[in-house]
Amino acid sequence: VALSKVFGSLRKELHDTLSTCKVLVVGAGGIGCELLKNLVLTGFKNIEVIDLDTIDVSNLNRQFLFQKKHVGKSKAQVAKESVLQFCPTVNITAYHDSIMNPDYNVEFFRNFMLVMNALDNRAARNHVNRMCLAADIPLIESGTAGYLGQVTVIKKGLTECYECQPKPTQKTFPGCTIRNTPSEPIHCIVWAKYLFNQLFGEEDADQEVSPDTADPEAAWNPEDTAARATASENDGDIKRVSTKDWARSTGYDAVKLFHKLFKDDIMYLLTMDKLWKTRKAPTPLVWQQLEDSASPQELSAGSGLKDQQVLGVWGLCQLFQHSVETLRSQLQEMGEGAELVWDKDDPPAMDFVTAAANLRMHIFSMNTKSRFDVKSMAGNIIPAIATTNAVIAGLIVLEGLKILSGELESCRTIFLNKCPNLRKKLLVPCILDPPIANCYVCASKPEVMVKLNVHKTTVLSLQDRILKERFGMVAPDVQIEDGKGTILISSEEGETETNNSKFLADFGIRNGSRLQVDDFLQDYTLLVNVLHTEELERDVEFEVVGEAPDKAPSPQTTPEEVNSVTNGNKDSAQPSTSSKAEDDDIMIVDSEEENEGASSSTAAATSGTKRKHSDAETGETSTKRPRTDQSSAAAAPTDDDDDDDIITLD
Amino acid sequence: MAATKASKEQKYDRQLRLWGDHGQESLESAHVCLINATATGTEILKNLVLPGIGAFTIVDGHTVSGEDVGNNFFLSNNSIGKNRAQAATELLQELNSDVSGNFVEESPNKLLDNNPEFFNRFTIVIGVQLPESTCLRLDSVLWSASVPFLVCKSYGLIGYMRLVVQEHSVIESHPDNALEDLRLNQPFAELKNHIQSYDLDSMDKKDHSHTPWIIIVAKHLERWLSEHNLQPPKNYKEKEAFRQFIREGIRKKENGVPEDEENFEEAIKNVNTALNPTKIPSTVEDLFNSEECNDVTSQTPSFWVMLRAVKEFALNEGNGSLPVRGTIPDMIADSQKFINLQNVYREKAMQDAAAVSKHVECLLQSIGKYIANRRCRCLGKNSSFLRVVRCRSLAEEYSVDTVNKDEITSSMDNPDSEMVFYLMLRSVDRFYQQHSRYPGKAKVYTNVCAVPCKSTHPPKRFCRYGAAEPHTVAAFLGGSAAQEAIKIISHQFVPFNNTFIYNAMSQTSATLQL
Repeated sequence: VALSKVFGSLRKELHDTLSTCKVLVVGAGGIGCELLKNLVLTGFKNIEVIDLDTIDVSNLNRQFLFQKKHVGKSKAQVAKESVLQFCPTVNITAYHDSIMNPDYNVEFFRNFMLVMNALDNRAARNHVNRMCLAADIPLIESGTAGYLGQVTVIKKGLTECYECQPKPTQKTFPGCTIRNTPSEPIHCIVWAKYLFNQLFGEEDADQEVSPDTADPEAAWNPEDTAARATASENDGDIKRVSTKDWARSTGYDAVKLFHKLFKDDIMYLLTMDKLWKTRKAPTPLVWQQLEDSASPQELSAGSGLKDQQVLGVWGLCQLFQHSVETLRSQLQEMGEGAELVWDKDDPPAMDFVTAAANLRMHIFSMNTKSRFDVKSMAGNIIPAIATTNAVIAGLIVLEGLKILSGELESCRTIFLNKCPNLRKKLLVPCILDPPIANCYVCASKPEVMVKLNVHKTTVLSLQDRILKERFGMVAPDVQIEDGKGTILISSEEGETETNNSKFLADFGIRNGSRLQVDDFLQDYTLLVNVLHTEELERDVEFEVVGEAPDKAPSPQTTPEEVNSVTNGNKDSAQPSTSSKAEDDDIMIVDSEEENEGASSSTAAATSGTKRKHSDAETGETSTKRPRTDQSSAAAAPTDDDDDDDIITLD
Repeated sequence: MAATKASKEQKYDRQLRLWGDHGQESLESAHVCLINATATGTEILKNLVLPGIGAFTIVDGHTVSGEDVGNNFFLSNNSIGKNRAQAATELLQELNSDVSGNFVEESPNKLLDNNPEFFNRFTIVIGVQLPESTCLRLDSVLWSASVPFLVCKSYGLIGYMRLVVQEHSVIESHPDNALEDLRLNQPFAELKNHIQSYDLDSMDKKDHSHTPWIIIVAKHLERWLSEHNLQPPKNYKEKEAFRQFIREGIRKKENGVPEDEENFEEAIKNVNTALNPTKIPSTVEDLFNSEECNDVTSQTPSFWVMLRAVKEFALNEGNGSLPVRGTIPDMIADSQKFINLQNVYREKAMQDAAAVSKHVECLLQSIGKYIANRRCRCLGKNSSFLRVVRCRSLAEEYSVDTVNKDEITSSMDNPDSEMVFYLMLRSVDRFYQQHSRYPGKAKVYTNVCAVPCKSTHPPKRFCRYGAAEPHTVAAFLGGSAAQEAIKIISHQFVPFNNTFIYNAMSQTSATLQL
């Protein structure tokens, strides 16, 4: 009804608004291309578009503003030029940049009447969400995955923000699992990607691939662990520096690399015998033996291999050798000090990861995977097609028109199903939910409780793992509420770096301490309540109270792929795992109990005066899941509420 | 050639993950006909050209107007005055050099007058913004030629699609919750032997905890059957007891505490899946019993010949079961054990597929046809998921005698039903038929129905659209219609049957069977 008014009596007014207002499109990929076309053809005249990415061949099956000749160029720039060719009268400004760059501050966002996200990763979505809240600009959020899609509208104070509903935690894998005890193919794939960076790319201390001697599980007693840890730190540092150098000193000799990675390191792991009490022990590989025992077909297998084929071990060895040689010469051509960047769409890089990951899978008794499958997991590939993006971009503009004509109350969250559901609906519109009162982003005074060990958590990991990675900040400043206002972390360079390697306890932080965290770019302040504990599981650094622990899933748990929508998570380092879905494992449920516990410990920690929310409120919100879209569906007269067809936006 | 293949693999990587190599091959051999290159038409075609159909042909007798350029991305100012088919072909062709673009500068009516067989060559015909009379003519021609016909219309803020296909077979319906095909309740000989080769009791600890759960369940089931008069656990209670029975199989440490054996946990978790009796799904049973399956002649489409062969298989070698699918889920096991088990299923599946092929050959001998072996294998693997979609023709929908009154009247009980828009679309079509123009503000068909509404009657507003094609609605329909076309072309996923209405005002949609 609202929109017919839009197109009816208000048509003239709306038309004027469209031609004068300025809108921002964040992302010029699958949805972005469609969106730009729809906007100009609907009458929008002033559009700014930003995208960090350059065009890849695999974009061409859907991102219709790009052609083969554009491969390697800026998406935002080419998108702008292509649209202008067709519609020369509109004003488009293109930025080949990250939206998280501080240049795009709150002032920048205030230039627009409407912001539309066409993004493919959660970090940027979180960031734009905060910027739009800070600038009080309406935001349309969207995403697609294969045949599924979703659109929703976010307006400060009126609707849920992007972060009101906890999202399933993106999977990270503990270091020891990757380095010592992989149990799933994905662990080996992550290891192989790390290895690529160690050998050919930018070395990263967090991406170590050699055996981790400090694995607490490998030790018989705590003192032993500590001793090993110290030993390995010293030892590790030397090794770390030398991995690439050593490889270079051998001239990237594939067979020598092979023996270090797949024989010597594995034999070393075998000496950590406690690890293999309950697990099947790995089997070291010897190049010559494999060559000798290779079957004649395997021997003739060349490099022009088909994607979906699963190679035998000798085939993998050959692929390993071949890809190492190709990458070595690439590196040489680039000159001294050059580094390669891993890219799933770069064939030699993909070959290398396929070979190394599969060899490791074989060593650890896993079933090897085809290059096609490895690519899916390594690249976090989410299938993407033109049709879904076209549908979603159409829906975005219609929601935009409602916002611009002041009909925010008639906006909807819309889910697109793969096929009509049991009630014969392809689209499921749901009324927008009001903000969650204790959302740690859009509440008036956001607050969280984090469980960690103050003696083991460093300032750096507070900054990188907790504040940046988990809470999506870009440049946090941290002040301890200790009466003295001690500055723990400053976003100004050079001010607090010396604190980085110290533990939180070194600054007097203990159970019940409160940290005030500010991100000036996001205009966002978060109060972090520290809950000290000695009892975190192996490899878990911290837990946000009210959420499931931030750790890797067990082999049976499943990724959210099926039920949540993303359009690629390429800049998150956490790949997804298997592809089978089991409903009960998809969502992380924060139990009421935990939340109450949280409230009461908050109370305890702050001498009972600072409880923010009543138990009732907490209770209600804590049981609310992303899937409560159904409850709103039930509330909306026109909706249906078919359980299986609701997907959550990521 | 190899290079082209590799570059295509790269370009189409993200969609190959949805419909596979063979789905892509079907797309690449498809020839799609679009009638009328309006905004909706070109949006649909764009979404088919990008994923790489083999060829398209646009049929359009109109010349490009200023209005066309205003809402159509694939027509530019300098195409004004040109034939619309030609102008759109040029720009759409730019999207993908692997697609061959053709155009015919004639109206569909003229083609139907002079050369009705023209349309028989296409994989699918998509007709956009066509008047009722033309739709009905195409309906009759395409129906008898068994060419799928997709009718699309954007009318103001309403989108409409109608699929007309006499019979559409779906080999890969990609059901969301497909059950595994493990045959544990009636293991085939090779599986039986393989299970025999395991002796859980004499294994060392490592092997015991790396035995695939399928084997664990099978072993325990064997013993259960011998202790329970050959009756498998059926109800919840018995299954619970069976789970406990498996649990008892977990090795104990010296102190009596059970070992941590994840494979056993997996077995317990999968009891339901594992005990699922092997039977032919009723949808497939119905297909077996249909006339097409039983009277195979030289005219019979290959799908039915293959289906008949599967039926013959089930009646003979299969002992009442479909061919083994040949895949097993991922599970905790060491590589060797898993691969061995996988091979047992895989080899059986290949055997079964070969048996089906034999039946196909026998059937074909009499009728002199050829079906690629690969298709038989694909059918064998998917035999539990086979579907056939049959739509009614437009002639049936439009005829007073065969109109689906029940669907219409039952929908009209609900004031929010999208059926209203269907009726209004039919009325404006009728109006056009009589006046050769679409209703404007003045003419109102208020007699269609009354619908609760804030300010004015929807019909009035409906007329105000004046058959306009807002770009966003065209974009939406472009995505939806292309998706259905891909389903038809690839014979994967089940298309809608048979009418789809989209309401952009409320962002709702409905599927009606008319």
